[in-house]
Amino acid sequence: MSRLGLRARVTATVAIGALALSTAIAALSYQFIRGSLVAERERTATRTAFSDATWVRARLGQNTNTVDVLGGVDAGSSRRPLLHINGKWFSLSTDTVASADIPVALQQMVDGGQPARQRVRTSSGPAIVIGMPLSDGTQYYEIVSLAETQQTLDLIGLVLSLVAGGVTLAGGGLGWYTGRLALRPLVHMAEAARGIAAGDLGARLDPMSDPDLEPLSASFNDMVDQLEKRIERDRRFAADVSHELRSPLQTLAAAAAVLDRRRGQLDERTAAAAQLVVEETDRFQQLVTDLLEITRADSELDLSDVDVLAMARDLCRSRGIDPSMVVVGRGAESTWHADGRRVQQIVGNLLDNAQCHGGGVVSVRLRQRGARNVIEVDDAGPGVQPENRELIFRPFVRGAGAERRGDTVGAGLGLAIVARLADSLGGRASVLDRPGGGARFRVILARRPS
Amino acid sequence: MGGVLVIEDDDRIRRSLVMALEDEGYTVRGSATAEEGLAANRTEAAEAVLVDLMLPGIDGFECVRQLRRDGDATIIVVSARDDTHDIVAALEAGADDYLVKPVAIKELSARLRAVRRRNRGGPTAGGATIVVGDLEIRPDAGEVRLHGELVSLTRTEFLLLCELGQHAGQVLSRAQLLTRVWEYEFGDERLVDVHVGRLRQKIEDDTAAPTRLVTVRGLGYKLAR
Repeated sequence: MSRLGLRARVTATVAIGALALSTAIAALSYQFIRGSLVAERERTATRTAFSDATWVRARLGQNTNTVDVLGGVDAGSSRRPLLHINGKWFSLSTDTVASADIPVALQQMVDGGQPARQRVRTSSGPAIVIGMPLSDGTQYYEIVSLAETQQTLDLIGLVLSLVAGGVTLAGGGLGWYTGRLALRPLVHMAEAARGIAAGDLGARLDPMSDPDLEPLSASFNDMVDQLEKRIERDRRFAADVSHELRSPLQTLAAAAAVLDRRRGQLDERTAAAAQLVVEETDRFQQLVTDLLEITRADSELDLSDVDVLAMARDLCRSRGIDPSMVVVGRGAESTWHADGRRVQQIVGNLLDNAQCHGGGVVSVRLRQRGARNVIEVDDAGPGVQPENRELIFRPFVRGAGAERRGDTVGAGLGLAIVARLADSLGGRASVLDRPGGGARFRVILARRPS
Repeated sequence: MGGVLVIEDDDRIRRSLVMALEDEGYTVRGSATAEEGLAANRTEAAEAVLVDLMLPGIDGFECVRQLRRDGDATIIVVSARDDTHDIVAALEAGADDYLVKPVAIKELSARLRAVRRRNRGGPTAGGATIVVGDLEIRPDAGEVRLHGELVSLTRTEFLLLCELGQHAGQVLSRAQLLTRVWEYEFGDERLVDVHVGRLRQKIEDDTAAPTRLVTVRGLGYKLAR
């Protein structure tokens, strides 16, 4: 299975295609240009050599100084004229090796009275050797350098290679762009899905964006509609249930208060029953309040600047905890842009948990770490076993001994609420060992821009 | 003036609340509808009125508005609705406090005791006249004048303004205001926000750009000198 993404694969495919095509075109062009350039050069060289030979032949008749005659040939730098008279070589320069560049087969042909031409590779680069018999025993040769042509060809080759490279890059770019274009709807979909996962159920795809993708976006939107309806129905049901529970509970709470106050006037058995009613009413009330908190975790955030230090100290005070236990980490701010109610609920529940199950609060720290706000509550209890550290945040899981002691505090929802609220605030709750014993409850929350 | 008036259409809730509050030592009257309750309050003004929001006929919000118009009673909404919109709407209608059912009797009693403490202090907060800009606060007379003209404030608004006036130029946090004005150890800070909003409607020229009662971001409120 390929590990490459779709876009990388499209990019690679188009780039490879562009490379193959541009290389083929460049190679063909090069071959064609080279052929025609060299042929053209050969034709010119032959024509020039022919006229030079005619000129040399005429001069040789008048002047016996062969080198002077050769000097008369307007050869320029790219042509080297040579004469082969009766087996002896004459040339302009002291270039004695020049004759060595002339292939033996060509010499034999020219000696036989046939003009001939051949491409050779000399010490100074590629060249054309043209030989012409002037008269019996005298042959005229010209070595025409192809260095200039070669340079031109090299340049053309370089340009063609660059073009091929450029085309490959452009192909890759096109592939990447095409991939992106093709994947854009998926990117939108991923964004929408992310938004939905983060709780924004209003996110939808634009159904008109592309006729090819309409079935996909339509079914996606349909799915989100269904999801939204379902969540709304669940939420409404939970809200309705708790709302319907509130009214009878209010009666129970008030009536239980009346019973409680008059316990002394009741006989022992009735008083005991009354006490049970009062306690269970309290617990029931707490349970409903907690359940409502959980349903509230799904509702919209209400962000404002919150002085968490003051809030945490107030929460401590109202629970009889020394407020100086709350400290702000070094360099951290004591005012957070956050949902005050939720943060208050989180801190309150952690304090309650430490008091009920953790042997009391040891310290409360408010810190900031990168883009996160951190709340830590340390307790003096026995700590939490590693295997229970996930379990403890589930609903209706009670701390050890709470039930045995007949403790009526808490319905086992406190930490579950903390976890749900932390989740709704883009963070998470966890429990660790406190150095020196006890548990450290840590809630990390996403920091929100104000 | 005296006692607590419970306006609640649910018969069982009303009866149980009346009993429980009587046990706490209050004189309590109960009314099943807003109309009945408003009439009872006009006959004999209550010190504090507990109002349910969902009432037949005149609803709770309107009932709060009329109670506010009729007098100076402390209005506490006791409702099963815990939606922020409802809470803010009720406070804006003129309620002094909002409690969500089920309310523990101890809690309710603590709030009523705070109301009583505040009211026993009389309509006045005491202290010398405070002049802040063109605002004149006379705690002894229970009067506030803006540009020399009398401003009509509820008791809570008045106490809030006095508290801010006594510390003019100083920032007071929401928690501090809750403790000092409402005398609550612990409460919903939205109470403060809504009351500040109501106060602004009465003393600011432009409530969108307050110049007298300003918000200090992240800290609280202050009355600008």
